[in-house]
Amino acid sequence: MKISIRVIFFMTLFFAFQSLAHGEHEHNHEGQVVEPSAVSNNMGNVACEDTINIKVTGLVCDFCARSLEKVFLKRGDVGGVKVDLGKGSIVVAMKPGLTIDDATLTKLIADSGYNVSAIRRGCEHG
Amino acid sequence: MKLTVFTLCCVILMGYAPQSLSRPVSYPGGWTVMQKNDKNAHSLHVHYSPTAKYSIGYRTEYWREEDWQFHGVQINYLVKRLNAPASQANFYLKGGLGTAYGDLGVPDGELQPAAFADIALDWETRRYFTSYENRVYYAEDIAKFFRQKARVGIAPYIGDYGDIHTWLMLQVDHITGERDNISFTPFVRFFKNEYLAEVGISDKGGILFNLIIRF
Repeated sequence: MKISIRVIFFMTLFFAFQSLAHGEHEHNHEGQVVEPSAVSNNMGNVACEDTINIKVTGLVCDFCARSLEKVFLKRGDVGGVKVDLGKGSIVVAMKPGLTIDDATLTKLIADSGYNVSAIRRGCEHG
Repeated sequence: MKLTVFTLCCVILMGYAPQSLSRPVSYPGGWTVMQKNDKNAHSLHVHYSPTAKYSIGYRTEYWREEDWQFHGVQINYLVKRLNAPASQANFYLKGGLGTAYGDLGVPDGELQPAAFADIALDWETRRYFTSYENRVYYAEDIAKFFRQKARVGIAPYIGDYGDIHTWLMLQVDHITGERDNISFTPFVRFFKNEYLAEVGISDKGGILFNLIIRF
């Protein structure tokens, strides 16, 4: 019984901390602004013409979405991946001068556990 | 018994080593370590996914009260995944084949063939989670029973990619056989990056502690 009370106590503390820490992120979501520190940012400074924005379906779980990074970053032509759970999209940063065709992108996304709903290349997605 | 305890200790230690993830099938080339403990049993499952449709790996279980263990090969197959803009649903079939070892009804030290078959379904959004899984066990003279497990969960806040994510969940277990009973386990799931942990206590007083790491 003592153990149960301790576990509940520590969990309550943890939730309180997490809820406080998370308030700012939710605010940003409402404003449709992606906070750079809130997403995996392994992209560095990449010119927008070297990026591909992929809208995917099923992107609901951070833990599962790790597969996107694993699958894309295994490739030599990809410089970075940024996952945005709120928008249901990922941005792939290509190495300068390199690209991936739509069919390959669709296969890579399927291997990661998701489906592609739209692909936009370069600066058109801002 | 000593071997099982040793194996589980090694896995728990592995949980603190760098790298490793929760689906029974991962991305092509992905490895996953799942170490689970509850009132009934301790288990370890290490699997490798050659494709995004199936995984294969080693599984061991130790059933504490009956003092028997299973060692074998497990295959997990993704039958169907439904991706929607704000949700994902999965349907898996799992099967295991190997040997059981225990004192119940057989001479001490005798290995017996053992197998299990499993159906698992889940559906989740960023806020809600629900799953159902059942498993039929056959271990000749040692154990024959059916177990089913349902889970519901809610995320008290919606985390961004890279945050620590927290879920409040409830697990209902039903097990047939000698220990025929239903138990309720409220627990908390945390995950960050490739690490997932679950901690809870059942209404029967059993501690639930699960670790999943994806490489």
